[in-house]
Amino acid sequence: MSGVAPAQRFVGQSVRRVEDRRILTGRGRYIDDMQLPKMLHAVFVRSSVAHGRIVSVDVDAARSMPGVVAVLTALELEGQAYPLSIQPDVPNVERPVFTALASDKVRYVGDPIAVVVAEGRYAAEDARDAIVVDYDPLEAVASIEHAENPERPNLFDDIPSNLLYSEHREFGDVEAAFEGARVVKLTMRPQRVAHVPMECRGGIADYNSGSGDLIYYATTQSPHGLKLGLSGVLAQPAEQVRVITPDVGGAFGQKAGLQREDVALCVASRMLGRPVKWVEDRVENMTSASHARSEILEISAAVDDDGTIRGLDVTMRLDVGAYPVLPFPPSFLGPIVRTMMTGPYHIPALRWANTVYATNKASYGTYRGPWAIETLAREALVDRIARELGLDPLDVRRRNVYTVEEQPTEMVTGPTIEGIRASEALERAAELAGERDFRAAQAKAREEGRLIGLGYSSYIEPAPGPPNLFPSMESGLPPERAYARLEIDGHLTVTTAQAPHGQGHETTLAQVAATEMGIPLEHVRVIHGDTQLTPFSVIGTGGSRAATMASGAALLATRSVKEKVLEIAGHIMEISPSDLEIVDATVRPKGDPAGGMPLANVAGAAYFAAPPGEDAGLRSSSVMHEPPGGWSGGTHACQVEIDPQTGVVEITRYLVVEDCGELINPAIVEGQIRGGIAQGVGIALLENALYDEEANFLAGTFMDYLVPTVMEVPRIEIEHLEGDALHEVNYRGVGEGGTIAAPPAVLNAVADALGGVPITTLPMTPERVLELIDG
Amino acid sequence: MKPPAFQYVAPATLEEALDARAEHADDCAVLAGGQSLMPLLNLRMAFPGTVIDLAGVGELAGIREWDGGVAIGAMTRQRTAEGDALIRDRAPLMSVALPNIGHAAIRNRGTVGGSIAHADPAAELPAVALALDAQLVAKRKGGERTIDAADFFAGFLTTALEPDELLVEVRLPAMAKGHGVAFHELARRHGDFALVGVAAAVALDGGRIADARLAFIGVGGAPVRAREAEKVLVGAEPGAELFAEAAETAKSELDPAGDSHASAEYRRRVAGVLAQRALAEATR
Amino acid sequence: MSVEVTLTVNGVQRSATVEPRRTLADFLREDLELTGTHLGCEHGVCGACTVTVNGASARSCLMLAVQANGADVTTIEGLLEADGSFGVLQQACADSHAFQCGFCTPGFLMAATELLAENPKPTEDDVREAISGNLCRCTGYESIVTAVMLAAERGA
Repeated sequence: MSGVAPAQRFVGQSVRRVEDRRILTGRGRYIDDMQLPKMLHAVFVRSSVAHGRIVSVDVDAARSMPGVVAVLTALELEGQAYPLSIQPDVPNVERPVFTALASDKVRYVGDPIAVVVAEGRYAAEDARDAIVVDYDPLEAVASIEHAENPERPNLFDDIPSNLLYSEHREFGDVEAAFEGARVVKLTMRPQRVAHVPMECRGGIADYNSGSGDLIYYATTQSPHGLKLGLSGVLAQPAEQVRVITPDVGGAFGQKAGLQREDVALCVASRMLGRPVKWVEDRVENMTSASHARSEILEISAAVDDDGTIRGLDVTMRLDVGAYPVLPFPPSFLGPIVRTMMTGPYHIPALRWANTVYATNKASYGTYRGPWAIETLAREALVDRIARELGLDPLDVRRRNVYTVEEQPTEMVTGPTIEGIRASEALERAAELAGERDFRAAQAKAREEGRLIGLGYSSYIEPAPGPPNLFPSMESGLPPERAYARLEIDGHLTVTTAQAPHGQGHETTLAQVAATEMGIPLEHVRVIHGDTQLTPFSVIGTGGSRAATMASGAALLATRSVKEKVLEIAGHIMEISPSDLEIVDATVRPKGDPAGGMPLANVAGAAYFAAPPGEDAGLRSSSVMHEPPGGWSGGTHACQVEIDPQTGVVEITRYLVVEDCGELINPAIVEGQIRGGIAQGVGIALLENALYDEEANFLAGTFMDYLVPTVMEVPRIEIEHLEGDALHEVNYRGVGEGGTIAAPPAVLNAVADALGGVPITTLPMTPERVLELIDG
Repeated sequence: MKPPAFQYVAPATLEEALDARAEHADDCAVLAGGQSLMPLLNLRMAFPGTVIDLAGVGELAGIREWDGGVAIGAMTRQRTAEGDALIRDRAPLMSVALPNIGHAAIRNRGTVGGSIAHADPAAELPAVALALDAQLVAKRKGGERTIDAADFFAGFLTTALEPDELLVEVRLPAMAKGHGVAFHELARRHGDFALVGVAAAVALDGGRIADARLAFIGVGGAPVRAREAEKVLVGAEPGAELFAEAAETAKSELDPAGDSHASAEYRRRVAGVLAQRALAEATR
Repeated sequence: MSVEVTLTVNGVQRSATVEPRRTLADFLREDLELTGTHLGCEHGVCGACTVTVNGASARSCLMLAVQANGADVTTIEGLLEADGSFGVLQQACADSHAFQCGFCTPGFLMAATELLAENPKPTEDDVREAISGNLCRCTGYESIVTAVMLAAERGA
């Protein structure tokens, strides 16, 4: 772009992404692209059995192989790192205690047992293959049913069973709701799925034995959370731990928290005094990183004949695998699902029970839209209610959905519902889907022996949710901070606590800041991913919080700098700051395009002369707390055609009507929605992190774990409602809505094509669909 | 996920290649296009002492007319074969099967001979070879023999090739001019190995089926030729009822296995469906 | 044992002595320090490591470096114009917000480069077929298809 762009409002424009200059030229820098002097390469030896006692680990041959510098097992880690566990202050939760490398037992296929450190990756793998582990196998706990069976062994010797947590809660008058009501039942049991970032996990630990400083370069979405974890486990003072996050190739929840491999790498570097790199390979990632979903949700709904849902009785059983992903306690999911259970519907009563089990599987790791089971089960339930009562699924939604008129109100579970346009989104989606014409086409198709279906799903997404959402879940939403600094040339540096990995925050936060500051977009640089530079956030990027929280923090920090600038400029120009504005990087009297001085001059004056109002450089920090409202949401509509002879499902049309407030960058918003739906389509039709009855993992490669390609993901039509502002920061997240709403939309469409058959598990493989056709 | 160490031999002539094959017969892997071997090496599921890279053996690549049919050098790249006019004329079944293999980047490297010699039961080209009664030319140091496709595929990733032999040419005998072909497969995703698939070639004469070939993939350890079903077809007038009968017969000739992607029963059933569709297309 | 590999990468002749087992991907990334080519699965499914070898797309994880001896290889680093500006395809990708995290990006660009060289006016189905061997977990692909179509329209 030549010259300086005219003053404009960058918010609301699909401006090009700042990130793309490096990404499209191969100049991105991901963890595996980094080389440090004297760097070593690590690979992990992992368990080949699901459950067993370790009899011996023979590393002697490996240690003497060419290029091998060290082989570390749990023995070598003793005294170097504290045992790992969840925070002790979570009540009523069993606390498994374990080590970064398995010591006495292995608890899933892929459990890390030893780490080989060598001069090169090839040599490290050669040595790994020379290590012999002898196991005394134990019976595997391969399912929730196994975990509930007292005959099966416990995973943790000091925990009396494989039940880690249980809770029972009641909201509203459940008994009254069920009294005299019709009861519709549904059990939903989706498969385990994997996050599958295209870049696997990895890190480089670089300990300087002279200074005692540890730098950990990590592909993570929560650098401060990781720093906090490492500091504690390694007994390394916080000021001597620095986490630096380069470009991150996707995460989707998998790169959150402290991973056991992080600990082992840092210990290795501290012991060896050299940088140690580990880059996870794909089989490790599929097998060992983490999985999600696979909850069993049983619902009884009390309904009136007109489809009014009076109450729900819900039991969720959750399999969290072998080890908790730190710092999340095994109980973490229940409160989110419970609180979101009634979704966009006015349902006045909920009975809730949740049990959580340890099994011999990879850890449960938060995955995009962690509460998704409630959307899946509830939206399938709405269609089931319609079938059983002989009603139109759309009418059942209409009867229960929150209307604009009844807001603000509260969900029975606590959070305030305000500013959501669920009803409007539903009507608009039905209109766009051509509901009436479709039903005629469907009848005609059936006569021709063709199976076509149309399904809907409605959802709300806490993005980040109202201020009373997190208290309803017995937790709190951490605040979000940002720094802003006017540079000496009048450009602006915004430092965020986000750790973006595809979300485009270098662009969107710059749009917000440039608009607020009155400077060209190219004059703003967004800094992230270095705990030495960035403000603290235990979360980093996750939970659809950036649009509101990080944008808000950037806005407030920029505004604060702007106030200082105007103060200084007012002093120089002898004009009241309140009579000044910044337009096009010029500070000028309001409404006087000819007057004023370049922002760079003001900045220069401030840096060199420190006039009144200058405060250690033109910089500010801000804290953003959650504003009211905070919901994104809408309705998805999906059309499918099913091959009646093979069971193959083809998505023939997919549309979304959604509200996430004002769009900072429409192209980025739509990228989040489409990408989320692609993952949801994968969950609905393809993906399966499958274990057998002995807890052997069957989906370790990309030939077995089926990520959708361009041929399976349909074009997606999107309409935005851009709901009313309840707060100045009217931007809301859209990271998770696509992933949670797509599986039930596809499921309801398939069920509709098959005449309303109950579908209770995913993915809907051709074989399973054919079974449904057969009845 | 890196390959294990091996000795690397890159012969420049067929003679050198056969010498190397003989020398390392007990512990070597032949690298043709590498699209099957390289994943096995990277995953460390294969540990060959020596890898013989055939890319430098120019005489192994090429497509020529042969006895009214076509002969394809083992090292001919799949993407080259895909666009070849002679193959389209003489062995159109090969032409319609090739685009089903993986993706462009795979076919750019993958070779016709490599796929057949690797003998993956879900791969397309072994079924084409089987359906077309291919003659597979194998050479060893000082010797050559021709193996009928019917005798070539011995089981899962197993062929009749001896450890010191190389597959050097794939000869596809001509079928009647103007015969119809179709290749149908069902994969979970576009480009994946098929759960099940079928190659069909049908020649008509005077409104009746004069010659019919039906070979299936993904239905066991090796591709399967449904010869009883072919008998049902030959001499009859093409039509939906006939194809249904042939498909039923074919299903009785198949003994698929189940795995995490599909059960044996599903494979058998869909094999029948695809057979009917392929026969309909091939006789259109 | 080790072998000397000499090839042309992005128009520049490069050589290094490596073990024969070294993959082309590792050769490019480690020995030639061209880290724009990414490794997403190392078993030939995800396509992130796609480069062109003598103009034809290939998985660099499924080739040994020694197999590329004497070849003309192009990687994502080779797509810039001589003056350092974006090539037509890159510009179309930026204009279309084609990618998010950027990890799969090199493979898509190289697959699309091959397509547009062979077929300058592809249909949308052609584009989908050409990139069907590349996995992206972020975008849902629509923006990538749009970008390749746009590049074709502009005459990539």
